Order: sequence, then C-alpha cells, then structure tokens
Amino acid sequence: MGYRSGLKKWLVAAVIAPVMILSGCSGSGDSGSLDAGSGELNTTLRIALSADVADLKPSRDQGAAAMMLDTLIHRGLLGYDGNGDVVPALAESYDVNETNTEFTFHLREGLKFQDGSDLTSENVKKTLEFLASSDSGAKIFATMSDLDSVETPDAQTAVVKLKNPNVAFPAYLADTTAAILPEEAFSAEGTAWSGAGPFILEETNPGVSFTLKKNPDFYDAANVNFEDITITIYADGQARLNALLAGDADLMDFVPWESFSQVESNSDLVLDGQSGPWMYLHFNVSNGSPLANEKVRQAIALAVNRENVATSAFSGQATVTAGAPIAEGSEFYNAELANGWSQNVEKAKQLMAEAGYADGFDAVLLSSSQYAFHQDTALSVQPDLEAIGIRTTLDSPDWATRQQKAAEGQYDIAVAGSAGVVNDPSFLVNFVTGPAANNRSYGFDDPELNQLLAAGLTAAPGADRVAAYDAVQARIIETVPFASLVARTQAFAYTNKLTGFSNIPGFLTFESGYTLVGAKLAA
Amino acid sequence: MARFILKRIGLGIVLLWLVVTVVFLALHAVPGDPAAILLTSEGSGGVTPEALEKVRQQLGLDQPVLVQYRDYLLGLLQGDLGTSFRNTSSTVASYIGARLPNTLELVFAAALIAVVVGVPLGALAARRGGWIDTVISTLTTLGISMPVYVIGTFFVLIFALQLGWFPAGGFTEFSSDPIEHLRKLLLPAVALSFGITSVVARMTRSAVLETVAQDWVRTAKSQGLPRNTVFSRHVLRNSLNPVVTTLGLEIGSLLGSTVLVERVFTWPGMGSLLVDSVNARDYPIVQGVVIVIAALFILINIAVDVLYGVLDPRARH
Repeated sequence: MGYRSGLKKWLVAAVIAPVMILSGCSGSGDSGSLDAGSGELNTTLRIALSADVADLKPSRDQGAAAMMLDTLIHRGLLGYDGNGDVVPALAESYDVNETNTEFTFHLREGLKFQDGSDLTSENVKKTLEFLASSDSGAKIFATMSDLDSVETPDAQTAVVKLKNPNVAFPAYLADTTAAILPEEAFSAEGTAWSGAGPFILEETNPGVSFTLKKNPDFYDAANVNFEDITITIYADGQARLNALLAGDADLMDFVPWESFSQVESNSDLVLDGQSGPWMYLHFNVSNGSPLANEKVRQAIALAVNRENVATSAFSGQATVTAGAPIAEGSEFYNAELANGWSQNVEKAKQLMAEAGYADGFDAVLLSSSQYAFHQDTALSVQPDLEAIGIRTTLDSPDWATRQQKAAEGQYDIAVAGSAGVVNDPSFLVNFVTGPAANNRSYGFDDPELNQLLAAGLTAAPGADRVAAYDAVQARIIETVPFASLVARTQAFAYTNKLTGFSNIPGFLTFESGYTLVGAKLAA
Repeated sequence: MARFILKRIGLGIVLLWLVVTVVFLALHAVPGDPAAILLTSEGSGGVTPEALEKVRQQLGLDQPVLVQYRDYLLGLLQGDLGTSFRNTSSTVASYIGARLPNTLELVFAAALIAVVVGVPLGALAARRGGWIDTVISTLTTLGISMPVYVIGTFFVLIFALQLGWFPAGGFTEFSSDPIEHLRKLLLPAVALSFGITSVVARMTRSAVLETVAQDWVRTAKSQGLPRNTVFSRHVLRNSLNPVVTTLGLEIGSLLGSTVLVERVFTWPGMGSLLVDSVNARDYPIVQGVVIVIAALFILINIAVDVLYGVLDPRARH
C-alpha cells in the first residue's frame, strides 16, 4: 500500500510540477522601459497582425497586413496624419503650379535609407518612374500613368510634371505604396524590406513574426517612442483577439465584427473603428446579357435591403451605402445622391418590366466562401434579387478562383469588397473604367462618366470640385457601374495604455500605422 | 532479402513520382491565377495585363505546363523543391525545414501525453470496473467525439483568458527561450492529444480485459503471486502490443489533425503552411509539402513492409 501510495504521489508530482512551473513562468514580452518625464513608458510594442507578409514587393497592393509593415519600414514624400490629412514626410514641403500639373518637392536635409546610403531626388525620380510603368503592378498606377517627367535640378529637389491636371495627386503620393525606395528594390527580384521609415526590419520568422527596431536615422526619430516592435501573425480573428485579451499583444488589427461588443465591454481595451472599405455588387454587362440594360442594374440597386446586409454579414457594424461610396464627413458628400438607390422594390419591379424582364431571368451570383462576410452578403441579397424575378445560383469558390472568374467575366452578378486608394472621390475611376479586372463590372464603359471623372481632377478645389463630383455621383446613380451595399466598419483594438495611435478614417484605415510615430505605451 | 528491399524501394519511388505528377497536374488544373493573387488583395483589384504578364514570366507560368512539369522533375532529381511564389528569395526546402519540426514536435508531444495518460487510465478502468470504468469510458467517448478546435478554444478560454496561466497562442523558438517555447506548446499538445489519449485508453482497457481472462493469469494468481505484481508485470505488459500498434497508426492520422490546432493556437506547422499556400496558389510550396508528407508515409510503409518480411519470410512473396 505504501509503495502504491508513494508511486501515485510521484506520478501526480511528475505531471503537475512541469505544468505549474510552465504556467508560473512569466511569458510577458515586455522589455525595456524608459522614463519620459510624465511616467514610465514601455519601449516595446507588440502587434497582433491578421496576415503574413511573405515578401514585401515595391509598390504593390499586398493587403492590410503589408500596409502596416509599409507604414513602419517606409516613408514617401508625403504621409497622412490621424485625421487623414496629407502631411509632409520625406518632403518637408511642396509647391504646385496653377494648373495642378507640376509639383515641386523639397526634400529634408540629410535623408538616409536604412542601409546608410543617401536618399536624394534621384531616388525620388527612380521610384516615381517605376510607379508609372505599366508592368510594375503598382497600386497607384492609374494615377501615376499620367506622369510626364521627373526633373532633379539638385539632390534636394524633385519636379514632377503630369500630362493632365490632378488636384488629388498629393493624396496618392501619401499612400504607403508610394514610398521612396533604394534603386535595388526595382530590380527583377527586388524586395522592399528596406526603406527610409521609422523602423528597421531586424528579424523575420516566416509565417510567425517580424521584429523591428527603431531607425536612428529616421527624419523624425525624436518622436519615435518605441525601441522595438514585435509583430506576431495571428491569421484567425478570435486567436488575434485572444492574444490581446491575454495580454500577449498591445494592438491588433481587423477586429472581427462579432467581437466588437466584447472589446467595448473590456475597460482595459480601446475599440477604434472607422467606416472603411465598402461592399458592392458588380455586373457582367457583356452584349446580350440582361445586365447590359441599365434599367436592370437600376432595379437591382433599388431592390437590395442594405440593412439586412449590415446585420447578417457584419453583425450590424456597417453603414448603409445607397449611392457612390463617399463618406458623410467628406466635402463631396451629397445627401440626396448618397441615397439615390434607397430600397424601393415596387420601382425596381417597374424598371424590370420596362427593361423587358417582367418575368425575370436566371443569373449566377459570384461570391467567395473564403471570406464569410462575402458569402453572407451574397446570401443576404439573394432573396432581394428573387423578389424582382432574378433567380440566382450562388457560386462561392475560394478567393483565388473568385478573382479569376471575376476578371474573366464568368459571372452575372458578383459580390465585392474594396477600398479606394484615397478618400478623395477621384478613386472612383478604378471602379468604372480600365481593362477587365476582378473588382469592376465586366465590359462596362461609360465615356460620359469617364469625362466627368477627368473633369473632377481638373476642377478648382472648393465649389467647382464639389459640383464636378456631384455630376459624377448623379451619373453613377443613373448608369449603375456598381451597386453599393454597405461601408464596413474596420476596427483596431488596443490596450488603453497605448496613446497616440489612431484609426485613420475612411479608406485610409489601412494607413493607420503612420500614427505609431508619436504613439506611447505606458509601462 | 536485399532483392525484396530493393523491390519495395523501387515501388516507393514509382509511388512518389505518381504523387508528384497528380499534385502538379491538379494544381495547374484548378482555377485561380497565382499572379493575380500576388498583385491584388481582398480590398483591391484592377491590375494591368502587363503587370500580370510580367509576374507570370517571373514565376515561369508563361511556359507550357509540360515544360513546367519537366523543369520541376529535373529540379526534384537534384533535390531542389523550388522557390516560393510569394517569396522568391526563399526556397521551399527552407519553409518546410522551418515548419516540419514544429508539426512533428506537436504530434510527438501529443503522443507522449497519450501514452502517459491513456495507458494508466485504460488500465485503471479495466482493473477497477464499476463507476470508475463508467466515468473513464464516458470521458474517453467525449475525448474521441469532441472536435479538436472546440477543445482548443475551450482551453484558451479557461487557461489563457480566465486563469492567465498560459499564452493564448503563438510560437517562440526553443533556442531563444526554452521555457516560453514549452509554455506555448503545452495547450496545443494537450488539445491535440485528447482524441489519441481516448483511443489509447479504450484500447488499453479492452486489451487488459482480454488478457485478464487468459488461463495463465489465473494460474499466476493461484500460485500466490501478489495481484499487483501479476497486473503490472504480466497483464499490462502483455496487453501493450495492440496499444503500440494503434498508437503508431494514430500518430499518422494526427499529422492531418494538426491544421486545426495550428489555427486555434497560431502554431506555425505544416498544416497551416499548406492551407495558406493553397489559398495563395503557391504551387511550389503546396507540391513540396505534399511530397514531403507522401515521402514520410511511403518510408514508413517501406519500413513496415521490410519488418514484416523479416518477421515472416512468407510476406516477401
């Protein structure tokens, strides 16, 4: 009996002891701290990021996670502040000519890349010319394709000339993908792991984490309060939130919509949400398709119940968008036009009849099972379409397949989610014109709308521009190149010890990493 | 015997070639353009045809499929699994080299827990019977039937968020911080072990009950040997053969179960690498992962075949 009892104790101890030891060991990633006068600051920030960035390529749109890294490693001529206003970055100032075709950028003194080499106007020229090349895959290519020349009268000055006026040009240069990079980044196998931003990539563990350290040569290094940033990849939204709740992370991106209330109810955390990317339907308007008839598209835009989309796909964390996606706070917001497609099923049926489709038709509704909110959006609009006689078959493949089918026009109606590059309404051009693409209606081309959009870029800021984009919005309401549904709330969550970080409003939400310069984390 | 082994190895190589071919052709047959995935994200789109073409050229996707297949096979013969589409400066071998040990560590930790917990539980249930047997049988039924992601999520809720004993997930290299590495390993390993522990416990219980009914056990007891000695030295030892066989088979199936645990606990293993790579249409990594897993299974099968041949010469024919 004594032997058995002793053995049992040893067995219990053998199992429990390591668990107790392991659980008792502190796993905190906290590191150094400094006294900043007003109190102890933690100099290490831990970010829980929603996706891995296998490789950072110059100028490409690689998604929200890559943009976070971009804002930390890179800087362009201009940047954004927490309100979404364009602010100086590598260029301490710039001048514009009267016709908005010539922009002269004055670089700061003593700029250096993270490899120690000088950053001069020649680097600006190389970067902008790369962004303007059609095979670069640049996110802002549509804007940069208007580049005429870049002159470099001296090492500190770059004169950028455009073929056509563009009032919104500075806003595009403030995007993270317009960062000024060393020349080697633009070679065939070039990467963008080095730049002139506030942090230097110190270590990467593919698919797991990134470790960044402060760049002492950054032009605004005095305002950078973190010595290190560790970024851990948590692809699953709940796992990411768990990391924040458990204290393993200080800041997380892409808070799942269903978890908003959980974060809000935690007094130690801050939920920072902004109305961001918008969901919409786009169409295959090839010849012979019922959707080539704009009355059918108008009927669809009037038939959908957007409140249902917001509730079913986004747990209510979305704003109804019944017109062109221009945020309410924008000077270009027009209340009447913004509600041009408010639900009116009877009028939608009437339009179907006028178009010759009183009995409706069959259609393929393309979505993607890889993103639950895309699929839920499709499921939400399906009965609305059925109500006006459009009998849809849901095609919900993985994202890669969805993208290919959308680009090749293998659909009738498609669910999409997207964001403009900038908050300026000039972004709309990407969704109504250009070669066949996964994010816009297949075969759609409206020369009148294209002209109106071009006029918006040349109009003088103020009343003229507002009037120009009123005309654009009215034309969109009429021709329905897309049918807006909702603007989804994009949220960050962070410990209340973090101050100074803010979620930049609108489509600029993914640029919010800019605001980590100046942010502080209390110890 | 040498001829038998060579024959098995030859068969294994043919099988591996078949796997490579099927995976290669299947990947190129499914829709989804790797170049488009590299150039667009969920919230964007609209790239120029020139940019797509340039990326396709860089990845070699502009070549006919048969040419790509030939080049891939030639690379394989030289031990080159290729480079990732998403990260052209990293080889597939380096990705697998970083992830495979993590998956194997998770699987073997789960197997170790299964042996340490499952065998005593099964033996206890068989020996004591009554309510103890009922409780253990109920627990093992739960362990087998509960999905691993439910167990994982439950663990995170209790041990990470409520009690704060362990991290909610993540990974730390053993070399950089061994204690932190083990802290992050424990919850996923225990979650993954629930199913296999239950199977081992049930198998042990059945095997012990069968052994106890043997005549020689009664003889041993009648000769006055202490009951504990009979049980621990003879009954349990003679019951472990089927348990070991089952454990071996279950370890194989655990390799396939890790993907869910890896997701819940953000453990960077082969499962999550495979899923991410399929979604990104990163053909070289998908092919590499499948080939490595297939090669492991084929090697294990060859080893088992050879062992059978050694134990039973009739099996060689």
